[in-house]
Amino acid sequence: MRPEILEYNMDWMLCSIMMAASKTADGSRKEYDRLQPYIPYFSGILEPMVNAGKPGITFLKMFTDYLDNIVTAHDKGKKVALTTFCFSPSILYSIDVVPVTLEILTTFGRLMWRRGIVDYLDYCVELGLTETACSAQRGSMGAYLAGLGAHVDMVICDTPGVCDTNANSFTFAAAYLDKPYFQLNYPQTIGDERTDKYHLEDYMAMIDFLEKNTGKKLDLDRLKLTLDEIKIQDQLVSDLEDYHRLVPTPLPVIFNLFIYAGRFMFAGEPIYTKLLKEMLEVAGEKAAKGESGLTSGKENLRAFMCYIDHYAINLQFYDWLNDNGIAHLGGILSRTFNIASPYIKGLEGSGYSIDTSSIETMIDSIAQMNARMPMVRSIRGQYDKPGMWLEETLALAKMFKVDCIIYNGTPGCRNTWGMVKPFAMDLEKHGYPTHVMYGDAFDERVESWEASLERLNEFFNVRGLL
Amino acid sequence: MMKEFYDAATRIRSDVLSRWKDTGGNVVGYTCSYVPSEIFHAAGILPYRIRGIETESMEIADAYFGPYICTFPKCVLQLAGKGKYDFLDGAIITPGCDSMRRLDECWRKAGDAIPGIVPSFFYYFDVPHKSIGHGTRWFREEIVNLIKALENQFGITITDEKLNASIRLYNRARRLLKELEDLRAKDAVVISGTDAFAVTMAGTAMPREEYTEHLENLVASLKKKKAKKDERKRIMLIGSISDDISLVDLVEQSGKAVVVTENLCFGVRDEGNEVAEEGDPVDALAKAYLGESTCPRMYGKYKERLATLSAIIRRSNVDAVVMQNIRFCDLHGSENGLFERDLEKEGIPCIRLEREYGPLVETGRLRMRIDAFFERLESQRPHKENVYSMEAV
Repeated sequence: MRPEILEYNMDWMLCSIMMAASKTADGSRKEYDRLQPYIPYFSGILEPMVNAGKPGITFLKMFTDYLDNIVTAHDKGKKVALTTFCFSPSILYSIDVVPVTLEILTTFGRLMWRRGIVDYLDYCVELGLTETACSAQRGSMGAYLAGLGAHVDMVICDTPGVCDTNANSFTFAAAYLDKPYFQLNYPQTIGDERTDKYHLEDYMAMIDFLEKNTGKKLDLDRLKLTLDEIKIQDQLVSDLEDYHRLVPTPLPVIFNLFIYAGRFMFAGEPIYTKLLKEMLEVAGEKAAKGESGLTSGKENLRAFMCYIDHYAINLQFYDWLNDNGIAHLGGILSRTFNIASPYIKGLEGSGYSIDTSSIETMIDSIAQMNARMPMVRSIRGQYDKPGMWLEETLALAKMFKVDCIIYNGTPGCRNTWGMVKPFAMDLEKHGYPTHVMYGDAFDERVESWEASLERLNEFFNVRGLL
Repeated sequence: MMKEFYDAATRIRSDVLSRWKDTGGNVVGYTCSYVPSEIFHAAGILPYRIRGIETESMEIADAYFGPYICTFPKCVLQLAGKGKYDFLDGAIITPGCDSMRRLDECWRKAGDAIPGIVPSFFYYFDVPHKSIGHGTRWFREEIVNLIKALENQFGITITDEKLNASIRLYNRARRLLKELEDLRAKDAVVISGTDAFAVTMAGTAMPREEYTEHLENLVASLKKKKAKKDERKRIMLIGSISDDISLVDLVEQSGKAVVVTENLCFGVRDEGNEVAEEGDPVDALAKAYLGESTCPRMYGKYKERLATLSAIIRRSNVDAVVMQNIRFCDLHGSENGLFERDLEKEGIPCIRLEREYGPLVETGRLRMRIDAFFERLESQRPHKENVYSMEAV
């Protein structure tokens, strides 16, 4: 790793930048404009967030809180757990553990820094992790392995058998740092009694692990509050999804990022509720006027990201969608799959409900919810089996009236690269033009954004979509 | 005697397989060491570990698998697409890893375009990634379901008595393989690593009675064999799946080294664990096949696996470890990184090799790196006292 990178902790750097960024909008517009020349590398991402209005500012403050929690955790006597995006942090908050969700830090490091996150990515490889391991984890894990982050007390993931490369990275980190490790493991099926029982038993084993490694008991009162808050949040997301069904959709492209990043950071915490309410307000106002969420106000096309977004620096992917009048109808990360969601119809077993009437129902609710987080829900089994990726994508594509589907991931996504070709062929058979991006959402060295852009333009032109 | 082993180990459709098919016997292929072979034996079916050797091109596999995928399942799909597995009456796919589990969809979808390549019995066997309570329970249920599915498909009954008899037979061969390992551990080398690997490999493709008989004869003859202490470097080979004896041969070709043990998926790694012969046979199979596994797919068991390797290194008086992984095999590749760190610390020289699976398409590069490694070994003789001071591990 370059010596200058070793000067500062990654999470501290991110925190400092976000803290400063979140304060920029507190001043006048003139002050904000005068600030821009001093943050040439960061203005590209700050601008769209601030322009998103109240939700953008709240998001900046929320992310600052998230990072501040990490860097101050030990000072506050809290343990820190390295974890993954498809693991709901709500249980950790209920036992006073601070989550460090690697993919979130990787994403924002990638979006914000001109130099990207290559030093952290490559440092993992120096230590022995394969270079073919997923960049989503490596992009920030390298910092923690190098000691450039909060001291990690434990490692928890829930991806074995769903995304092996993800699980493998967390296993590597635990072994390298010699930290306690727990992996939640899901069967390849979903929605049947036997599978749900496995989810519950495994989750209870994880609670034992957490209690053992924190020396604390799970705070059931806190858990109830968290789950009650998640109920509210799920309803708000559901309302946003209703707006997404409108043509044109009144949701700006960046709202998708806010929805899922907020959930991965603060599911069950009031600040995420505030963010969702503010987004709903904006969307409602636009919907009332029949306006599109796109800057141009004109929705030419509706695209669905069947996997994850592309995080080219300064949100260039979102800009490209926005500039071309392409509405972003969400992706695998965006939806809650609460049982009340309309797309659950026909996907029986893919949804969860929250019941806080007893300890048993609360534990079961959170276990089943966690088992239905993005990716672990529908990439766990064969893609063409009930409730899996194809059925889910088709259900969402139909509900949100999409015109085309885009796949984007990382070369580390063995779980999807193993079958994305037949998957895309099946989507085409169902009438959805489907584009497979070959780049890396987090590492521009795999394919430059310009090259990705060329291929995107080619797809949309050749297929006559734009 | 070695002829039979080599024939079964190096040819997809070996003579023994052809004889089995000629007598009307059924063959079910499987892709992972977690599938209990005893079940098929008890059903009178020949269990056949599906392999990727004899691949000559990749156009079918590339049409279904993406580019960032291990070449082993690609080779399997290619062979299936070319009709090389048309002798299979069934195939079992397991989630050994992400690349392997996607063989299920890709094989089925290729079957839409190339009729007849998907066996009539195409079964998904869901193996959990942990062996604690509910993990083993789930696995046990999977075994029961597989037994039922086989009974329905082939019109047979698999009784506990038959299962127990199969377990006893399989254990007999396991004990013989253990004896073979003990012989390989001695200073006087009585069998090359390549021959030993062929012997182990053959066990995944031969009728068990015949295999056990050959193995008995081989072990008996090796016990009588007189050999002097060998001056070649004693190598352990570990890492990604390998069903190609050429890989072992490559290490031994220079004449400077002999592979005295390995920890490979097709090797003795998973043949070493005996299944309990008392009690419920399904319980015994579940415990042995899941609980005793030393595959990195069972996440969070690094220390246990390091301890296993260390014990083998001590037992077999290993001078150095050759670690290989197929590109995109993150599980073995990353674990090799940790092994290298910890074993080198203990004075055991290690080399990590990344390779493509297939008919050793990179032979020259691999040979050059292995030769360079041997030169390092010659110039830096390991301190034996360090090699044997691994109690802390």
